[in-house]
Amino acid sequence: MFPANHKTLFVLDHTPYFGISCENPIEFEFLKGRTGFMPPISKTLWTSSIESAVEYSRIVWDLFPTGKLIRFFASDNVAHILNTWSSSQQSISHIMNGCALIGVPPLPSSVSPPPDYTVLHGLRAAIESMCEPTEFQIEKIKTDRGKILNRCRVICITSARDNESMKRLEEIFLTVLSQQNKVVSGSDTLLRISHCHLVIINTFPINMESSVNNHPPINLSPLLTTEVHSIKAPQIPNKLASLILEHYDLASTTVTGIPMKEEQNASSSANYDVEIFHSSTAHTAILKGNPLDSAAIRTMKEGLEYETVTLKWCTPRGVTGNELHNCIAMNRITPVDVNSRPSLCLINFLLNGRSVMLEMPRKAGGKITSHLLAAHGGEIFIHSLHSARSVLEEPPSISEGCGGRVTDYRIQDFGLLIKQNTLVALTNKNSYEKPLNKIMERLNRQTKFWPLTISSTLIFNLKQYIDPLPALFVKETLTEEEVFICRNVIFNLIGLESKMEPLQAQNPGQRVKGQKRDDQYKAIWNELENFLKSSLYSDNHKVVYQCLLECHNFNNIDEDKSSEKLDFDEALNQLDNISTVKDENAQRASVIRATTDSPMSPPPLANVPAFSLQNSYKGKTLYDIFENMENEKICNRPELAGRKIEHFRLYVDLDSDGQGGYRNEGLMDAE
Amino acid sequence: MPTVILLDVSLSMTRPVQLSDGTETTRKQLAINGIEAFLDHLGAHSKLEFIALMAFSSLYEERCPFTRDTNLIKTKLKNIDDYDKTCIETAFHGVGQMVLGEWGNNTSCQIILVTDGSTGIGAMSLKESLATVNQRGVSGPVFPLPFPFPTKLHVVCIAGSNEPSFIKSKPLYQKLIDYSGNLGSIQVPENLQTESNVLTIFQKLAEEMYTPFKGVLKCGSLETKIMLSPTPMAHTKTTDFSTQTYNISEIIKVCGFIPVPDISSPMALSRHLILPVSSQKQETSNESGTTDDNLVSDESNTPSFCVLLHGALKVENRAALVEVGHNWFGFVYSWADSKKKSNLMLTILPPGSDVIPWLGDLNDLGVADMYTPEQVVAFPIKPSEKRSYSQNGVVWIRQAGLQSDIQKILRHARKLPDKTQQFYKELNRLRKAAISLGFLELLTGLAYIFEQECMQLPGTAHPDCALQLQHAADLLRKSQNRNITFVLMPLQTNYNAS
Repeated sequence: MFPANHKTLFVLDHTPYFGISCENPIEFEFLKGRTGFMPPISKTLWTSSIESAVEYSRIVWDLFPTGKLIRFFASDNVAHILNTWSSSQQSISHIMNGCALIGVPPLPSSVSPPPDYTVLHGLRAAIESMCEPTEFQIEKIKTDRGKILNRCRVICITSARDNESMKRLEEIFLTVLSQQNKVVSGSDTLLRISHCHLVIINTFPINMESSVNNHPPINLSPLLTTEVHSIKAPQIPNKLASLILEHYDLASTTVTGIPMKEEQNASSSANYDVEIFHSSTAHTAILKGNPLDSAAIRTMKEGLEYETVTLKWCTPRGVTGNELHNCIAMNRITPVDVNSRPSLCLINFLLNGRSVMLEMPRKAGGKITSHLLAAHGGEIFIHSLHSARSVLEEPPSISEGCGGRVTDYRIQDFGLLIKQNTLVALTNKNSYEKPLNKIMERLNRQTKFWPLTISSTLIFNLKQYIDPLPALFVKETLTEEEVFICRNVIFNLIGLESKMEPLQAQNPGQRVKGQKRDDQYKAIWNELENFLKSSLYSDNHKVVYQCLLECHNFNNIDEDKSSEKLDFDEALNQLDNISTVKDENAQRASVIRATTDSPMSPPPLANVPAFSLQNSYKGKTLYDIFENMENEKICNRPELAGRKIEHFRLYVDLDSDGQGGYRNEGLMDAE
Repeated sequence: MPTVILLDVSLSMTRPVQLSDGTETTRKQLAINGIEAFLDHLGAHSKLEFIALMAFSSLYEERCPFTRDTNLIKTKLKNIDDYDKTCIETAFHGVGQMVLGEWGNNTSCQIILVTDGSTGIGAMSLKESLATVNQRGVSGPVFPLPFPFPTKLHVVCIAGSNEPSFIKSKPLYQKLIDYSGNLGSIQVPENLQTESNVLTIFQKLAEEMYTPFKGVLKCGSLETKIMLSPTPMAHTKTTDFSTQTYNISEIIKVCGFIPVPDISSPMALSRHLILPVSSQKQETSNESGTTDDNLVSDESNTPSFCVLLHGALKVENRAALVEVGHNWFGFVYSWADSKKKSNLMLTILPPGSDVIPWLGDLNDLGVADMYTPEQVVAFPIKPSEKRSYSQNGVVWIRQAGLQSDIQKILRHARKLPDKTQQFYKELNRLRKAAISLGFLELLTGLAYIFEQECMQLPGTAHPDCALQLQHAADLLRKSQNRNITFVLMPLQTNYNAS
């Protein structure tokens, strides 16, 4: 928590001394063999330091787009402040423009007294700036009223005469730091500095030796830790590369074996390596595993002070984006040598939407796919993949669990719901409510009445008669026009019913519950009523519901009549539907009969459940039972001629004697 | 989560125990009976858990690799010989290697150390090990704790709670647990008078360790009871400015759906199977082996929302974004281990709504038809600023970078006047960078190179070539042009004037 790398401050020496050359002329291979004198081109100390500092920032801002802030100060006879903590000024282009404005270091002055050229101006300005809170610190103080630790890091590139003057520089820094903390102690807007890490890079041209020695981090006070690195100017980038790994807990990976066409000879291809930086967590999985395996892939970077892990490019097969990999860590990457041809080749490959697997060899033989490189939205990431055994192996299939044997789920309809509720990103959300909450409300409405299976619903199987009512009715509000449409659906249905049109399922193969027309209508009205009743979200919804109630008679008396009329068929239907259960019961009953009843017992009635038959013996005289047996015999006789006639009117006396049970009627009829 | 049972088979475990019913047994036998009780509980309630058995004294031996077959472990328990003295550090080295080799460093593991309160003698005793944790040189092995994988360490002591040896070693055990990550417990029976004292401890431990997650998967008004396997754990997230512990909610709520290719493998904390649980059954899990066939077939014939969701997600190749806790999200999708067996899987993301940069803030996702087309942005979301590798920036840290930039300009120069635009574009790019970096020597050097190039032009070269090169060289030399806002323009000649 509260790492120093939240606030880094570069203080660059811009005094006349830094205008001198590094004495490291650039060789131009392509000019070799040409005649004529070419004056040597060499960077100045200033150019070397600013380009190294910019490179450091490039890596940081590529890997941590927010939350890791860097400021730049140049110091000659005054401090030049190149940017602020504001995130809008945390970019390379901002820094480069600032550098162009301050220009090259001033020439040594001939006026007397000479201006006070020193790096201390910049260090002072940096110390003051450390006390300025960043947006993140302000936010933290505001939201949690939390006490925060204001840790910072200053990287100062300068040149000192000897150890003595370097020591003095550190002491002055500590004094100013302590004073600054006193100054801000009463301030509401400025923060006290909790700790500062001062990294001094003492640099000089390559043809010189410095009498300043390196020293490792030393705690000068609880407030300040300092370290000194004394290096030749062309070495600054390498030094900063090792330091950045430490400062931001980064690691280096070398992707090896990248097949690439030769620049000169496009027909042949050679293998190249590209080095990338990323957070060290990307390596945790492979380096904490088998020590032998990890030792084999770690090598010291040639000429540098850090290790790199070498992983092999694995030519991608097919599209890999279509599945969710088991990714245990994900970090942004940046190439170390951003403009080299191999780097550009790898980057463009990834930015074009393809991904690369990285392999790690195993000592025990074989190799494992340990990482995935892929770009998302123009940013490249390294995904660490889970490569060990999974605790989820051989899981039971979903078809083995609850509901696994059911085959008529409304998959297609739910697929439609999924499509309707597919999430997209939004710009300028103009409501205070979380958009996600609005979707959840909508999902609530859309699933309020949602039968899971095809066999448990009718209205959703007969969409052509009902649409677009279901889609409209789950909305939060209904417009007048939509009310009109919904009412039309109801009217239309009434029309069809009165015309006695049979309802056809949308899919010819689909079995619609209730083969009889009347049942269908009754079921569809009831289901529709349930659906509408469950979704009365607004007054207009109620208008539609009311319309349904008015148009279709759900009146009790009526319902009684119709239900009586339907009862028998309904029962038969239900018998059909639950036939499996029924059969089991029937079988069981017959087993009981076979073992408990006397040989004289009557055979079971075909249509009447065995249990109710037994019940019917209760409280009857012997005569009744005898009579029943006689009836049964009658049943076993050849079929009555009347029954064979197709349009024989049954239940003729039903209207006159409404309360009679159908079973008795049936028997009488049979007589 | 996988469990290693680490059984002490040192001589002290063979000490006889007089039970209150008069029979005599040994500590080792009590331990074995206890472990069997533990395995029975697992076999009945948590069939998907992996268990391994390791025996140790001064050495260690893997008696049974990780398996779901509890009976196999039981048979391995039957014939374990007795060896010399207790050496816990060595055993932990073995456990570390076994777990790393099998599960890697990302799977949390539980370790049950079954011992008897005597912690060994001499240099490799637990007391010595712990005393020298911080003094390990380069030569000696480092102390195995904490393991590189998340660990819960339970110490079960087959000893009476007031035995002197236990009282002495208890703080040492606690230290071990602290080192291992401070999750775990020390279990000890009150006394060894009855076997059931020991058995209860193991059974309770099993119940505690494998508390199944029971919750509800909700999609709007549709919901179903579910179990997650393995049980998800609370997560503590530490950022630069805060540390916060997040807990898994019992209600996993669907917030919407996203095409799987759009999600593209973000980092996940853990993955869990979603197992629908029958609502009619009072039993805690659908895994108990005692259910009769009728009940099973009943269950599998009762429609379950999980199966519907799974089927539809699979057909549509989408994942459901779910809220698993306060401001904590995950994805539910169809996953297949093999080609045949397909499953409903929950992937839990790190807590927070900003964990997938290319999806933006998850709380700000919406459904297209609720907004105007201008408000909708397609996935993946691009960051407001391009990264350096897609900016064509100038980096001259390595000489090759500078050389290739100059070569590019010269290549264009040879093809003047066709490449006039490109020549000046590249030249201005280089010039601007040189001015920013204070690299003025490069400008005069480049002017010099241009003049050389002029002199060495072949006779076939276009006359404009020489004119433009000389013009550019003159402009580079003029010090008043060292302002980055100034742009070098081509010389208007008869050849390129349109």
